[in-house]
Amino acid sequence: MKNKQIGMKIVVSLSAIMLGILVSFLLIAPTGVSPYKAFGVLFSGAFGISGKVWPLWITLGQATPLILTGLAAMYGFRVGVFCIAQEGQYVFGALMAAWLGVQLQLPPWLLVPCIMIASIVIGGLYGLIPAILKVKLGVNEIISSIMLNNIATLALEYLVAFPLRADSGQKAQSAVLPQSIWLFQFVKGSRWGISFLLAILLVVITYVYIWKTPRGYELRMVGKAPLFARYGGVKSDHVILRTMFIGGGIAGLAGCLEVLGNYHRVMTGFSSGLGFDGLSVAMLGGSHPFGVLLVAILLAGIRQGAQLGLQISLKIPRELGGVLIALIIFFVAIENVYRPYVDKLYSKLVVVISKIGKENQKTREVQ
Amino acid sequence: MNEVFDFFTINLASSSIRLATPIILAALAAALCNKAGVLNLAIEGEMLWGSFVAIVATFLIRNQTTLGQMHPILATYLGIIVAMIFGALMGWFFAWLHTRHHVDLVVLSIAINMLASETTVYLMRVLFKQSGTWSDASIVQLPPLSFSLLNRIPIVGQLLNGYNFIVYASWVLVVVLVIVFHKTKYGRYLKAVGENPNAARSVGISVNKVQHWALISSGAMACLGGAFLSVGHLTLFTRDMSSGRGWLGNAAALFGFNNPGGSFFAGLFFGIADAVALRLQNVTKIPPYIIQIMPYFLTIVILSVVSYKARMQKSRNALH
Amino acid sequence: MEKFIQFDDICKYYTSSNVQANNHVSFSINSGEVHAICGENGAGKSTLMNILFGMEQPDSGTIQVDGKPMLFKSPSDAIASGIGMVHQHFMVVNSFSVAQNILLGSELGKYGFVNHKREVDFVNSLSQKYHLPIDPNAIVENLSVGLLQRVEILKMLARNVKILILDEPTAVLTPQEVKEFLKTLRQLASDGTTILFISHKLQEVLDVSDRITVMRKGRVIGTTETAATSIPELANMMVGRDVILQVDKPKAKPMQAVLELRNLGFTNGSGVKKLENVSLTIKAGEIYGVAGVSGNGQDALVSCICGMIEPSQGKMIFEGKELKGSSVQQRRRQGIAHVPEDRITVGLNPFATVTENALMGYQNRKDFSHRGILNKKHCEAHAKTIIDSYSVAGASIGSPVGKLSGGNMQKIVLGRELATHPKLLIVNQPTRGLDVGSIEFVHKMIIKERDAGVAILLVSVELEEILALSDRVGVLFSGRLQGELESEAINEHTIGLLMVGGTCT
Repeated sequence: MKNKQIGMKIVVSLSAIMLGILVSFLLIAPTGVSPYKAFGVLFSGAFGISGKVWPLWITLGQATPLILTGLAAMYGFRVGVFCIAQEGQYVFGALMAAWLGVQLQLPPWLLVPCIMIASIVIGGLYGLIPAILKVKLGVNEIISSIMLNNIATLALEYLVAFPLRADSGQKAQSAVLPQSIWLFQFVKGSRWGISFLLAILLVVITYVYIWKTPRGYELRMVGKAPLFARYGGVKSDHVILRTMFIGGGIAGLAGCLEVLGNYHRVMTGFSSGLGFDGLSVAMLGGSHPFGVLLVAILLAGIRQGAQLGLQISLKIPRELGGVLIALIIFFVAIENVYRPYVDKLYSKLVVVISKIGKENQKTREVQ
Repeated sequence: MNEVFDFFTINLASSSIRLATPIILAALAAALCNKAGVLNLAIEGEMLWGSFVAIVATFLIRNQTTLGQMHPILATYLGIIVAMIFGALMGWFFAWLHTRHHVDLVVLSIAINMLASETTVYLMRVLFKQSGTWSDASIVQLPPLSFSLLNRIPIVGQLLNGYNFIVYASWVLVVVLVIVFHKTKYGRYLKAVGENPNAARSVGISVNKVQHWALISSGAMACLGGAFLSVGHLTLFTRDMSSGRGWLGNAAALFGFNNPGGSFFAGLFFGIADAVALRLQNVTKIPPYIIQIMPYFLTIVILSVVSYKARMQKSRNALH
Repeated sequence: MEKFIQFDDICKYYTSSNVQANNHVSFSINSGEVHAICGENGAGKSTLMNILFGMEQPDSGTIQVDGKPMLFKSPSDAIASGIGMVHQHFMVVNSFSVAQNILLGSELGKYGFVNHKREVDFVNSLSQKYHLPIDPNAIVENLSVGLLQRVEILKMLARNVKILILDEPTAVLTPQEVKEFLKTLRQLASDGTTILFISHKLQEVLDVSDRITVMRKGRVIGTTETAATSIPELANMMVGRDVILQVDKPKAKPMQAVLELRNLGFTNGSGVKKLENVSLTIKAGEIYGVAGVSGNGQDALVSCICGMIEPSQGKMIFEGKELKGSSVQQRRRQGIAHVPEDRITVGLNPFATVTENALMGYQNRKDFSHRGILNKKHCEAHAKTIIDSYSVAGASIGSPVGKLSGGNMQKIVLGRELATHPKLLIVNQPTRGLDVGSIEFVHKMIIKERDAGVAILLVSVELEEILALSDRVGVLFSGRLQGELESEAINEHTIGLLMVGGTCT
């Protein structure tokens, strides 16, 4: 019974992906390119292992902030708060890194951890704001998150244009961080480095925290059965605030790692493109850390493959990658519409497979 | 000196009104849905679709139909109408998914917003081969309308005159919605459905129908706001043209307590903030960002107050 | 007086809960009378009224209104035929005025517009006609509960109903409001409206009704003229037992006091006193049964003791120490265990496994977690022990709890609570919806714990259960302890009398 449920979940997710791909096929038609060829190029642009810098490494590097913001969003979902303020937390984490990296005079082995901790704290605090508003005042967390995201990006624009501005040239950007604290990249120019390993570490830590600790247990109960948790003596408010702080901290760390490992500064438009990717990853990943890991790599791959493969090789606009991702989310959103049909097909498939299994067994017995 | 000051203020005021119009339309759309108890978070996406559809429809009508070739301005008006119909259809689609298939509108909105952003740019690049901005010389922007009556009134008349059709339409819509909310049966049904759907159902009001109409109307209004952006003032389409105005509309609606009048003034306030920020940027060295942050910050404050009051009310009414 | 409403052989069976809610119900109501329908919880009164009002359909049987057979498919149909209902939970729009609420869905005005003046005039004349003064422009969210009820009644009268059904109308009113309300009823009846009201508060029923029909376990026990009966007689009709539940119960050996309540009171947000001046003592090794029709303060009592709400007055003393301001978690640790009324959404997490459900309350204990990580073996062993000790059928430690039967779910809740070795065990409607075998098992468990020295607070609306298990009984009525009975004095007649507001002197 439980296996059928998991099976159904996977099948429905796969259906959403297939439907998304189908519609993309339609959209590729006006370009004159064969859809199969396009998807082949998309795949090799995403996960290919050829050329000077393998696309696979670039994809993994791009996936790092997605994994982290996906985890951040996931914490919120798990505890029943649809918080989408990851972008704001990311921005403040990045700002903290860009600022402290230049201001603090400490040996690198001390400075880097300090910066990370500072980014986590500021991200966590920023994540507490929508949480407190929701828990104490009942404010809708989606609207407050979006307001906070906007405030954060505007604050970023202000800071890079004035106080943090490094050069008086055209670009509004902060000073470059000293090379001594740049995070190591495994393959030069790929963006894939230590931050990726940190992200994987956090995925594992998240899994352990949520499923193997008492606090994680309380988190899950508050999210899925709030009345049960309250009856059992769990202080739901505390759990929610604690969880949102953790989520915010991880998103803040994501921003910090991007600055330390990748850009080495912040500039105008720093967070553009991140938008709601974190929560898309969490949603599509079934609110599970391993799902988040997979989906983050998949999404990063699609965007990367669209940029490198579709646009550069086939002259198909890279936005098609974003369109494909949006279509998948769309089909996941409306799964109730086609779920009955998928259910029927899946049940029929199960019957057929079990019949074949029985036939095989019979033949074996006869022999 | 006085004249310069006057000119500065009038100019500022009229650019405020122009900047406020799409926000006001988005706010009306949001207010209507909020009142009906439906959270419509796709207004940003609907607006973007509206911008795109309006300009593309205008382009096609202008160049592919004899009517459009002969009357450029008419083509623009028709393009706007096409955008509004598209918006109404989108709204209907949402309503159908929501009532028939119990689709979560929040997740759907996120998908729609993302789709709008990516697909419009993709289509712009594939169909028109432009990657940042697309425009076409054949498209004519909406003409400013001048009313002789207003010309005779000093200062105020000058302030209210010379805007395009969509601006005036937004004012008319505010008035219409105020009347609907306070003076019609539909307005009553709307509020009842939003506040206590069970109470509405118990007297035979169809909650689904009311929410359907709210979503359809709000889709049309959001797209009208989007059309203003692409063919109302300038005639071009840029990626992410709506740039957060849909969200400001959501905020303005909450700011205005989901009333059409309140939404209008909140939208106007946001428009003024925008205009002042722009003006400051051109005239002084003061960073405009603080002013731009104001609307978002104030919305959170207002939201907190409103939610707190609602929570106090709920605990008072709880019978346990 | 002619027969106005005639029920003939109404039957209704709920498959989901295996209950015959209405069992060949037949009686009639005369035009213009105030007719009360009385019975305990589960007697079938609400079901019958829902059928009359078109909210539910009977399996068989007919209803005749004014000589014509009627069956309403929806409340709108019923209202159109002149039957209105005021529910326990008011359906009002808080931000609207009284007039706007009364005319909701039937607004006055032309071409879609609303004529505010006409509405105010209409409500004024309506309220004058029925002698129910109210301010048409008052905003509903500021009104008292009594006035809110008046709005609901006027809402029905505005639609020209000739028959008005009221379901437990005085449950949420203050004593003063109750007086006003009963006056209103008499007034409405004298103006020609036929009134049907459900109540278990027999004093009020006697004060205001013309005739009374008593129902028990889905059947009509009898219909009498109010003038010809008394509270004891009615109470007897309501609770008279044919079958006595037998439970093997050795004599109790009560020891020291475990829980003492002194003048406990709780007033809710609307000013209604849910608990008033409740004083009682529960000793270790005894079962104290709290009887009463639901809604008379049981929820508030349990919630106060468990720590979910703070009492407005009075004290609670547990094992010598005052319970004040401590959290639910703290009280659990002190030794108060609670098997809640709703086992599915409160007592358990139906989506989680047996192990996870068994863990609630234990997750922070030293033996269950080591250095911040849950000890999987220990948790699973704990769950397995519960499954084995309580013979939970068809469950393994990994099964999702939502798939289990009601009885097995309750076993898990009981097992989990008892594994804390509590000093006080509160069980609230412990056998609701369970099959006979599970009921027997739960009862045996409760007695076993009692004999092991646990103090047990049994809250139940099932009189049989109270009679079978309790060593002492307290009856709650309107938030007060209407009476307390010891061993030999415990019988269904006395308890039944107390449950409906009578007194035993």
